[in-house]
Amino acid sequence: MFPSSTQLKHWTFSSEPELQKYREESNAKFIAKHGVSVPPEEVPEIFLSPAEERILVHSYESHLREFCKRFTPAMPRAVLGTAFHYFKRFYVYNSVMDYHPKEILVTCVYLASKVEEFNVSISQFVANVKGDREKATDIILNNELLLMQRLQYHLTVHNPYRPVEGLLIDIKTRALLNDPERLRPAIDDFLERSYMTDVCLLFPPSQIALAAVLQSASSNRENLDSYVTGTLLGTPGAERLPGLIDAVRNIRMIVKASEPVNREIFAALNKKLEKCRNQENNPDSAIYKKRMQELLDDDDEREARKYEKIALQQKTSEDQLVGITRVLSPSAS
Amino acid sequence: MDMDIACPRCKTTKYRNPSLKLMVNVCGHGLCESCVDLLFLKGSGNCPECGVALRRSNFRVQLFEDSNVEKEVDIRRRVLRDFNKKEEDFSSLREYNDYLEEVETIIFNLVNNVDQLETNKKIEKFKKENRELILKNKARAGREEAELEALLEEEAAQEEARRAQIAMEEKEEKRRKIRNKEALIDELMFSTGNAQSIVRTFAESRAQDAAALAQAAPAPVPVKATQFSTGIQIGRGSGHIEFLPVPRADDTPLFHYEAPQRLFDGPSPPSWQEVDQLGYLAHIRGASDEERAGGYNSHIGCLRALEDAMAGLYYRANREGSVF
Repeated sequence: MFPSSTQLKHWTFSSEPELQKYREESNAKFIAKHGVSVPPEEVPEIFLSPAEERILVHSYESHLREFCKRFTPAMPRAVLGTAFHYFKRFYVYNSVMDYHPKEILVTCVYLASKVEEFNVSISQFVANVKGDREKATDIILNNELLLMQRLQYHLTVHNPYRPVEGLLIDIKTRALLNDPERLRPAIDDFLERSYMTDVCLLFPPSQIALAAVLQSASSNRENLDSYVTGTLLGTPGAERLPGLIDAVRNIRMIVKASEPVNREIFAALNKKLEKCRNQENNPDSAIYKKRMQELLDDDDEREARKYEKIALQQKTSEDQLVGITRVLSPSAS
Repeated sequence: MDMDIACPRCKTTKYRNPSLKLMVNVCGHGLCESCVDLLFLKGSGNCPECGVALRRSNFRVQLFEDSNVEKEVDIRRRVLRDFNKKEEDFSSLREYNDYLEEVETIIFNLVNNVDQLETNKKIEKFKKENRELILKNKARAGREEAELEALLEEEAAQEEARRAQIAMEEKEEKRRKIRNKEALIDELMFSTGNAQSIVRTFAESRAQDAAALAQAAPAPVPVKATQFSTGIQIGRGSGHIEFLPVPRADDTPLFHYEAPQRLFDGPSPPSWQEVDQLGYLAHIRGASDEERAGGYNSHIGCLRALEDAMAGLYYRANREGSVF
């Protein structure tokens, strides 16, 4: 149930300014940490601003959508929705410069396919990734735990797809509308566009679903207002109507306002990101490779030490059991 | 008893000499009693079969038909006298099991003459290393035996006392009967009254006596209970048995079930029955047989979609002003 979920408690924000505030904080935190040696007047030149981060995340969201659409085997919509949620949630409290969206994006889809019980193996999964498959495998598996941690392990996501089904069932049962199925294409389109915005961080899925259905109805020249006021809410919910109308209007406005990012801006920002990103988290950088090597060595050493200890223990216990240090064969004397 | 047991030396059989007693020594070869007397006149000699030096004092009556079994029993007794560790002497069951297995290996080796020298060395070593423990365990076994004996003695004494009491009562009874009879005869001889009435009054008084006796029968001497019905002794000897104290009942209040509260924050969805009655089910795919076999039915999916559609519809973030 959404009203008792972590999604409502931790990941539904009251307003865009609030979201903006958290994003600015994470941006500032990154610059404070990595920009100590940079003179203040050069900061805007070197580091991304919060607004630029937004643009990057936004454009990578469209990449995410393309990736999910082209994914083979075709994935259920819930995986896409959940992946979007994860991606957006991740960049609320983390800076784009710290973790490259390109890497987080695939990890989100991988984690979402697990959570939504869409069974693909990692090799099947990276078959959908362009470029070096092995590297992609490493990136995904390395980032998976980090992603879960940054999501505070709130992995259950309520997507608007099921509420849409519920509303359609309800409309078919209680409203007079011929062939509600023809609303579907427009609903799907609306939901898809809604994921390019922040509405899923601001509104409950049922409200988004209702907004989608109403939008679709109006574009199909139908009117469901009487259904919403009379049937869905009814008399007991009358005083809640203004709030709901407000929410639906807001959702529709936000979704309508979203527009694709200019390719040139995206390319320029991407270039800037390559320069200022945290090299410790860049799998191509020397620092990253060195650190991984150190970790690996550490592991090896620890294993070796452990093995040595176990071998020694076994030897002494065996000696004790036999009670004699060595059994000579009769021919040895 | 089998009739064709025979002494391997003099070939006497049980059939020819019913009092034949086969003796056996550490090597496991049998010999009849008279042969033992003859051969081991000096107190020691060699076994006529295997030539091992034996002592006369080590001859025992053969209990098992198979002399190998006899030999094993003997060796086992000897080995276990030293290898007398108990399970409590080990920290883990695994170690104890390993120890038992080792003991069995030693016994097997001795019985089957495998690695005799090596094995004997092992036993010596064990003895040296564990002298204290062996002594302690021996003492403990002795103590346990003593306790058992004391128990048996006590029981025997009780039995004896009971028997003596019964004998005394019987004697008393007999004497009283004789006395009554004599009194009756005297009465009949010297009284002038009606013989029949005399007999009757005597019979009556005897019945009364019997009744009084039955009433006054001394309660059986209360035997002081020394053990529980389970055989565990009261007070002494329980040794390592320790009883855990009965856990005290907690004073915390009892659990009270409260139905979970469902937050809904939206218009209430139809109930389970209404889903059917109002025709919601007509608009969804019915559950297949395979799905129903798993406990699923159309109501579940339908209600879930409806609930999801309505839950949270009333949600309003405490927004100040506009969302933008």
